[in-house]
Amino acid sequence: MSITTWEQLSRSVTRLRYRWSLRLFLSELLQKQWFEPAIPFALMVALFLYFSLTIPNYASVANAQSLARLFAEFGFVALGMALALISGGVDLSVGAIFALTNFAALAFVNIFELPVPLAVIATLATGAAVGAVNGVLVGYLKARPFLTTLVTLIILRATVNILNQGYATVFATAAVDSDAWDFLGDGSVLGIPVNAAALVVVLLAGHMLLSRSRYGWHIIASGASRTAARHAGIRVSLMLFATYAISGLLCAAGGLFYAARQGSSDSTTGVGQEFAALTAVVLGGVSLGGGRGTVGRAMIGAVIIFLLSNGFVRMGVPGYVSSAAVGLILLAAVGIDVKWAKNRGKAIQKIYVNPALVEITPAPSIEAGSGTPFAENDRLLGVEAIGLDQVEGPEDVILDRQDRLYGSTRDGNIVRFSGPNFAQREVFAHIGGRPYGMQFDKDENLIACIGGMGVYGVKPSGEVFKVTDETNRSWTKLNDDSRVRMADDLDIAPDGKIYFSDCTTRYEATTYALDVMEGRPNGRVLCHDPATGKTRPVIKQFHFPNGVCVAHDGRSVFIASTTLCKIFRHWIAGPEAGKTEIFIDTLPGNPDNINRASDGNYWLALVGIRTPVFDLAARKPGFRLRMVKQIPGDEWLSAGLNHGCVLKFNEAGEVLESMWDPTGLSHPTITSMREHKGWLYLGGLENNRIGRIRLKDADPTWTGFEAYWGARRRDRR
Amino acid sequence: MALFTEISRNLRQIVFRNAEQHAIPSMDGALSPNDRLDACRPIGEPIPDVDDVAEGSDGALYVSAGNRVLRLAGEGYGERRVFTTLDGKAGGLAFHPDGRLLICVGGRGLLARDAAGHERWLNTVEDRPLLCPTSVVATKDGTIFLSNGSERHAPEDWCHDLMEKNHSGRLIACGPGLDGARVLRRDLHYPNGLALSSDGRSLWLSESWNHRISRAAIAGAGTGAWETAIRNLPGYPARLATAATGGFWLSLFALRTHLVEFVLREDDYRRDMMRTIAPAFWIRPALAATNHCLEPMQAGGVKALGIHKPWAPPRAYGLVVRLDAAGDAIESLHSRVGGHFHGVTAARETAQGLVVVAKGSARLLLAPGDVR
Repeated sequence: MSITTWEQLSRSVTRLRYRWSLRLFLSELLQKQWFEPAIPFALMVALFLYFSLTIPNYASVANAQSLARLFAEFGFVALGMALALISGGVDLSVGAIFALTNFAALAFVNIFELPVPLAVIATLATGAAVGAVNGVLVGYLKARPFLTTLVTLIILRATVNILNQGYATVFATAAVDSDAWDFLGDGSVLGIPVNAAALVVVLLAGHMLLSRSRYGWHIIASGASRTAARHAGIRVSLMLFATYAISGLLCAAGGLFYAARQGSSDSTTGVGQEFAALTAVVLGGVSLGGGRGTVGRAMIGAVIIFLLSNGFVRMGVPGYVSSAAVGLILLAAVGIDVKWAKNRGKAIQKIYVNPALVEITPAPSIEAGSGTPFAENDRLLGVEAIGLDQVEGPEDVILDRQDRLYGSTRDGNIVRFSGPNFAQREVFAHIGGRPYGMQFDKDENLIACIGGMGVYGVKPSGEVFKVTDETNRSWTKLNDDSRVRMADDLDIAPDGKIYFSDCTTRYEATTYALDVMEGRPNGRVLCHDPATGKTRPVIKQFHFPNGVCVAHDGRSVFIASTTLCKIFRHWIAGPEAGKTEIFIDTLPGNPDNINRASDGNYWLALVGIRTPVFDLAARKPGFRLRMVKQIPGDEWLSAGLNHGCVLKFNEAGEVLESMWDPTGLSHPTITSMREHKGWLYLGGLENNRIGRIRLKDADPTWTGFEAYWGARRRDRR
Repeated sequence: MALFTEISRNLRQIVFRNAEQHAIPSMDGALSPNDRLDACRPIGEPIPDVDDVAEGSDGALYVSAGNRVLRLAGEGYGERRVFTTLDGKAGGLAFHPDGRLLICVGGRGLLARDAAGHERWLNTVEDRPLLCPTSVVATKDGTIFLSNGSERHAPEDWCHDLMEKNHSGRLIACGPGLDGARVLRRDLHYPNGLALSSDGRSLWLSESWNHRISRAAIAGAGTGAWETAIRNLPGYPARLATAATGGFWLSLFALRTHLVEFVLREDDYRRDMMRTIAPAFWIRPALAATNHCLEPMQAGGVKALGIHKPWAPPRAYGLVVRLDAAGDAIESLHSRVGGHFHGVTAARETAQGLVVVAKGSARLLLAPGDVR
């Protein structure tokens, strides 16, 4: 194999390696709410598959029915436990209530000989009453849930044992002659055992209650932070009281079905249920800390524990081994629960940034006298300052028909300068967020990109209105990208459509430096159509889109990619419509805004100058990753931001000339420029001024507004 | 790979608790930043390539600058003339008790020149050329100690030596006639400064690349056992000079930055950088920042609202520290990012005050009277 093929091969391997990043996938996956129950769910499925393979006739309808019948009662108990955990407490008495209500149901039917419906109600009431005692103690008397319910457990258990001594034989010999009672014991609804069917109904109701009702939200809030919930006006005591009462009620439902099915009561009924239930719900992802958990998760955990203990019995594993196994699972689940809840954010943060290989073309020379159009000069040294120390970081500047000058500053304002020499300063509009690129629409509304907010407009009166802040979510991405995160620059096509760049969908307006470090196509170009009010992606994946400019003829849009140091052209009309092509392949710096020039060409601001060491880092993703992780943000390598440069390019993609501020004293970090009546106005992300310089050969009557909406527009020729 | 590096680094820190700590110490206490160096007065016109200074018994200043040694005399050292011209770059200077001027000449060796112009050279030690003489000092009994920074690079290519992570410096002793030269210590991390304690009994040595100063008692024509006096300095130490009140003046020619330390750990990146990029544009410490477009920039260095923040990560910095006799810092003079006098290679007490050599800014400075 020759050396060149070998190099090509290794290069494409590197390329592949950094394009598809498992870490990136994982970091976004971990952020998802639905990811947490996914692991227990997978465990549940795996367990079922394992037993299906090892135990004969396991995966059959008959077996499923019998399993469901055995499981349902435990399901009720686990649900009761889950509610108590979510409310921030614990209910250790669930097993004892189960045993008591089992006894009570048998007693109501056999001894008091109540009619079955009445017996059912009486049993449920018994459970709810015992739960209510817990509720009063925990909710109103502020007793610790753990000790309170432990005491209840001991008392109830002793009571049941005493009662059993007197009545166990009665139950054993009595036979209830009631179809309804038999139906409760071994009936089926549509092939589903009746107790399982009841459980399903209760689960659905419980899920709605917990996730969609005021009560559920209040319970979750109380569990997450009792103090905060009380400050928010939630009646915490009442909520806790109700929770324990409902927990008792659910255990009673379990006990009732158990009574109907087994018809006996002994000293082992419900023993250890509290620990099985606790293990189950914590394993399912209901947090011991309170405030986190769903009905579904509790059931997944319950099914796992049930399948496991049931499977152990069938495989002939001794009971003590099975108990030990459940104990170990509880230990592991509790450990994971505590560590996960505490460290999830940190884990995500550690793996969230994933630099990619940025294959950047070699930079053209900028040496003075090198003969390239990029050669460094001092043409911007004589720039006049407007609003010195009166503006903070005017990212974009624009002028209106009355020759007033607008700047979008970092304090969330759009500042306006007017009068002779622009001496008069006023805040035209306060939008909040971080205003970036601006453009006038044909009604003279000033449309502006607002980092962190979206696209907003300001009427000539100064009234602010929202244009758009969301688009449709893309289905292939884990990160929810329906919100516009960092709108950066926009331009308006002749038909009124607003094309704008959204730099990044993985970071925020405050952390975009990380996106630059990452060098992935996380950004996108969006188009808002005022006619329909819809915002749709035009280019879904783009390396840090920045400046956007509609061509003079209105048939294409130029888009600057800051990290790739390229300009792209996206056709919006004509036979090529919808296609995107590279327009300028190589620039000596990181392009920012693009704007029209009076001579039919375009102005381009370079916010940073490429340095050789930064270009080398672009080819070394591992280096950038370690840099981001090991050294403070202020020490990170960046492109050369302390030099100002403005370029001019033509419709053919050729750069014609450049203007430099080599000292970077007045105008470093130039992010925008506007031509207006023979002057060029300069804005910069970090500047304390707006610059203005006279252009020698420019048309002294040309204005941007006329070129877009007035007599000088060229798209109609 | 990165994980392995991280784990092994963590393990090393646990197992070798007393090993050199590589976290850069913060500049606080006596090292708290100030603008005192910027308040110093430049002596005359700029002196390109100024490197070291020595005070003669005639009260004049002898200054090494490029291929020349200048003699500065008079009130405020206003009179300037060329003392001698050499065929290499003049570096460290010192006067021998017998009145000869000892001059380190880059690429050549050590030159002893008396008032009459008689010259004697020391060019090789143990048959190896003295490529990188950095500093020289003579004891009262006439023994000469000389530091040779590197076996591979001349002094002006110090940055190559740093980025190659070399440690090939040597400490050499010889008699008054530059005879009987022998190597006292080898494998030093760019020894850059030598000074005698004010009682003349011990020799102090600074090593730039491991940010360390060590000392040993002088025993005849050699030294006793060496011990580390200061470890883990926040910058790269250059020359040491004895202070009259006891203790020393220590010059640091640049500060360590997290980025440079990081690049020194990143072997692959560093090799590619050295192979493909001109040294002026490397990630490296420098004597002076040029504000060239292609020079590396760090995020904190952006000019915001017209201000170049003084706390920005420094490519170049000016720092002189006064140490007490035990080696503890007691005061310091700074020229921070955006300041005027960077890249200090020497600071010595003279009859007219403390003279500071800001090589990065090509300036010789006279500290105000309150600096003693």
